[in-house]
Amino acid sequence: MSDQQKNPFEIVERGPAFSDRLEVAPPPAGGAEDAHPSVAALRERFPDAVRRAEVSAGDQHVVYVDPDANLEVLGFLKTDDAHHYDLLVDVTAVDYGGGLPLQVVYQLWSIPHRRALRVKCELPLERLHIRSVTGLWNSANWLEREVFDLFGITFEGHPDLRRILMPENYAEGHPLRKDFPLRGRFSRAEQTRRALSQDPKDYYIPEELEVGGAPSLPEALRPRTLEDGSEG
Amino acid sequence: MGLNRDAQGEAGAAVTPAGAHGGHRGGLFGGGGPTFLTTKLDFIINWGRRNSLWPMPFGTACCAIEMMASAASDYDLARFGMERMSFSPRQADVLICAGRVPYKLAPVLRRIWDQMSQPKWAVSMGACASSGGIFDAYSMVQGIDTIIPVDVYIPGCPPRPEALIYGLMMIQEKIRGETMDRRVELRAEDPYAAGAPRATPEEIAGLTGPFGNSTHQNQGSGRGPKDRVHRPADRIV
Amino acid sequence: MATKTVEFQVTRNPEAGMDFRPAAGPIAPVEPDLDSEHMLINIGPQHPATHGVLRLVCELDGETVVRVIPHIGYLHSSFEKLGEYRHWNQIVPLTDRMDYLAPLIYNCAFAMAVEKLMGIEVTERCKVVRVICMEMDRIFSHLLWLGTTAIDIGAFTPFLYAFQQREKIYRLHEAYTGARITTSATRIGGMMADLPEGWTDGLKAFLDDFPKTLDEIDRLLTTNAIHIGRTQGVGAISAEDAVNYGFTGPNLRASGVPYDVRKDRPYYDYETYDFEVPIGEHGDCYDRYLVRMEEMRQSVRILRQALERLPDGPINVEDPHISLPDKTDCMSDMESMIHHFKLITDGIPAPPGDCYFPVEGSKGELGMYLVSDGGPKPVRWRVRPPSFVNLSVIPKLAEGHMVSDLIVINASLDIVLGEIDR
Ligand code: SF4
Repeated sequence: MSDQQKNPFEIVERGPAFSDRLEVAPPPAGGAEDAHPSVAALRERFPDAVRRAEVSAGDQHVVYVDPDANLEVLGFLKTDDAHHYDLLVDVTAVDYGGGLPLQVVYQLWSIPHRRALRVKCELPLERLHIRSVTGLWNSANWLEREVFDLFGITFEGHPDLRRILMPENYAEGHPLRKDFPLRGRFSRAEQTRRALSQDPKDYYIPEELEVGGAPSLPEALRPRTLEDGSEG
Repeated sequence: MGLNRDAQGEAGAAVTPAGAHGGHRGGLFGGGGPTFLTTKLDFIINWGRRNSLWPMPFGTACCAIEMMASAASDYDLARFGMERMSFSPRQADVLICAGRVPYKLAPVLRRIWDQMSQPKWAVSMGACASSGGIFDAYSMVQGIDTIIPVDVYIPGCPPRPEALIYGLMMIQEKIRGETMDRRVELRAEDPYAAGAPRATPEEIAGLTGPFGNSTHQNQGSGRGPKDRVHRPADRIV
Repeated sequence: MATKTVEFQVTRNPEAGMDFRPAAGPIAPVEPDLDSEHMLINIGPQHPATHGVLRLVCELDGETVVRVIPHIGYLHSSFEKLGEYRHWNQIVPLTDRMDYLAPLIYNCAFAMAVEKLMGIEVTERCKVVRVICMEMDRIFSHLLWLGTTAIDIGAFTPFLYAFQQREKIYRLHEAYTGARITTSATRIGGMMADLPEGWTDGLKAFLDDFPKTLDEIDRLLTTNAIHIGRTQGVGAISAEDAVNYGFTGPNLRASGVPYDVRKDRPYYDYETYDFEVPIGEHGDCYDRYLVRMEEMRQSVRILRQALERLPDGPINVEDPHISLPDKTDCMSDMESMIHHFKLITDGIPAPPGDCYFPVEGSKGELGMYLVSDGGPKPVRWRVRPPSFVNLSVIPKLAEGHMVSDLIVINASLDIVLGEIDR
């Protein structure tokens, strides 16, 4: 740290620049990205689907994969014995704003091999669809629902894709997108009104209503049951 | 114990002294004004009420943990006649709203308040319940007083158990000042207002506008372009 | 709620005048055939047994749970969106409001992730202090779990015992950070302050006292027939399923999978501490209880070792780009004041890139995923929520059990809604 000896005033004058240390070291030449055995294997196995690979934050390997091939690539990573990523740690998305594509991020961890890998798929804004990986890992179920809720990415083949954190009839859009304002699109008064004017039936999803309004029930009783059931 | 002193003792802590309105005295049973009988009854009723408050803990987030700590061994709310946390709103007197209330939870809070029977009081515990706190964002109610009427606000993030106990003692103090002749006025509730926000839209706009630091929170994070992009997949109606 | 109207077939006997009697022969179904009738009950969102504002809609066949549909989001406070509008250091106060049962673990995890992204190496003392903080809060969180779960099973005493000990940790929190729950103790490159004088003695006293209480609770519950009856064989999940459903932390280890971030992806020299990771074998509620009890004992062991090796020296990195100048200097020295002002208003820029950093939280693998575009604020701050993923398994766990078992299963997962909903 050469800065340390200098007068702190000078450093401050320079403004919020990166110090030498903060600059990211350029990835070592000679394909450090391929140092990860799974990355190398993926390049060999899916030469078309793997778009690029990089190393971030020093030692974390990232593979960019064609979104149309996500299921094949992830399926290979999960089932192949040499890789065996049995724990899907996280599914999330990143929006950089400014019309850049949205990224779907899969964090994988292999318990037997003690190895981590991050797989990213870039989705252009006009086509926010990707195939669901719930068939491979059950843990993807809620994680994908959350991404759908907050980013509006549709996961094809998901068994139960509906909003999870926001109310089912939330009308303001997908909150974690960059173009979504921090305080929501509606005024506070309108948000309050909408929140309080919910129909008790909105609390239930069709599947539940099917049970709640079993066909054996007399027609006159049915609406009452629905309302009663909504009381906490 | 003279009549005068008693009446004053009761009215002393009241929000409005009982004698300040009314003024006409109609014998022992009072024609709307306080009399010897009503003030004595007030005293007894209020004494009973304030020493056997049953709180309805509506705990959602971090403040709820402090509420639990106040009910546990060290702080022991039971000393104040509140050992029975009533988890059913119909048997509760005080709603303690402890923690953040998102819009998704707002109808639940309102319904619980509507389900409580009179006389009832509400305590808003913590910065989030009182004003939204640090969560000035799309999903959060900016103060539960837009939804239900609140009697005591307890500041803090989270308030210490002592603060919660102090807030509940203020409710007790408030009860001390209640008189029978103002009961109708104090307990008036419009049955058709059930389930509706307490505040008018103008009031909500006034109460929830960003202030302080949060007015500066409008810039996004990155250095990238900040223009709005049209997104065909957005589900805006 | 499907109810069935029961019809009595009453035949009128004209000879008997006004005397109505049922006709001879079988009376048409007095007991309605309930085999095919399913009932819907709604638990929550405001219910004492759901440990927060969780809502479970259960389809019941008699008293047996056929299906559970959890509804969450009743505490969605938009943490991740708020994080995009704040400097790195300003996010720290958000993190402890996310998991208010173990605030210091979240503080430390976030600071570590940012340091990893920026490539900062914290001082030796800071490392040990953070280990102390994290292990202390693991006990803190498990104690609350223990107390509330005991209440759900019907035992009130462990709750009072546990809170008595928690109160001691509250005091340690307060002595160090000034707050009981919302600690906000870490800063990028160090801690908000060094440990106050005599604080380690307080912790030592706690460590001497706490195992006794733990043993008492252990005596109350571990061999208690009611507790065993309520938890053994309830909500069991196999090792394979547990991994597939994304279980982490004590829940995963109760199923027999030895995955612990502290051992498998060690940070802060956890590999040099002498401790064991308890593993269960049945994956039921009882094993989850045993694993957590043992984890508290192991945490005490780690804390003792950490106190022993606590080195002297600075707690913050000595880098003027990252650490704030001394407060006394700010009051008397112009340069320090400007420096302080600049760091606070401009924030610390992070290099562009992304970084995922997991730590072993009290509920499971707690990961912080940060994406930066080179500015002083994140483009995306994502928390990998352990209890979110753990809770998503509840439909599978509760299937076929009684309603009262559902409450025990829910309690045994150790969820915290603040972090599930974020
Ligand atoms: S006021 Fe503070 S402690 Fe209370 S719920 Fe809000 S953030 Fe949590």
